[in-house]
Amino acid sequence: MRSHVLTLGLGAATLVAGCIPVQIQAPDQPIEINLNVNIRQEVIVRLERDAQELLEQNADIF
Amino acid sequence: MKRSIFLFAAFAAFAAAFAIPVMAQQADTVVSQARAAGLVGEQADGFLGFVPGASISADLRGRVDQINIRRRGVYTSRAAERNVTVNEMAAAVACEIFTGRIAVGERYRNEAGQWRQRTASQAVEVPSFCGS
Repeated sequence: MRSHVLTLGLGAATLVAGCIPVQIQAPDQPIEINLNVNIRQEVIVRLERDAQELLEQNADIF
Repeated sequence: MKRSIFLFAAFAAFAAAFAIPVMAQQADTVVSQARAAGLVGEQADGFLGFVPGASISADLRGRVDQINIRRRGVYTSRAAERNVTVNEMAAAVACEIFTGRIAVGERYRNEAGQWRQRTASQAVEVPSFCGS
């Protein structure tokens, strides 16, 4: 008897939940992940020391 | 008399031996002056460029081309050592140049390809790929 009430309650809850409008908004613009830029930036940060070294060692062309 | 000639010759030989390496370490004065005058400028790609509209002598053009050829060589060898592209190595150097080596009054070409002049009040437009 008790479990019946529980099931009924659950069912009612499910019904109510199903009626609540869930708003899913599509994004206005597609999500753009520019991997190219990220990789580049990471590489360039890694090359900072090399860049400084090149400038110091080749002062005649910079 | 003979001794002074000998001394002079020794001094000349000494000067010649040391003058060339010292000169090689300094930037080309013709190019430096052209840079200060706004005829040429640093570009976001790591090379020197000619400012549009500026009258560039054949001598200056040759010197700038020579510098760019040598820069490419330097970028290429270091890029190979670090397993990156030549463009990336060149861009990394451009970041260093743009964040501290462009003097007030000098012209430079930003990432979008537009020529700008560094003024006392305005900071240099550092390329976006440089990071923070």
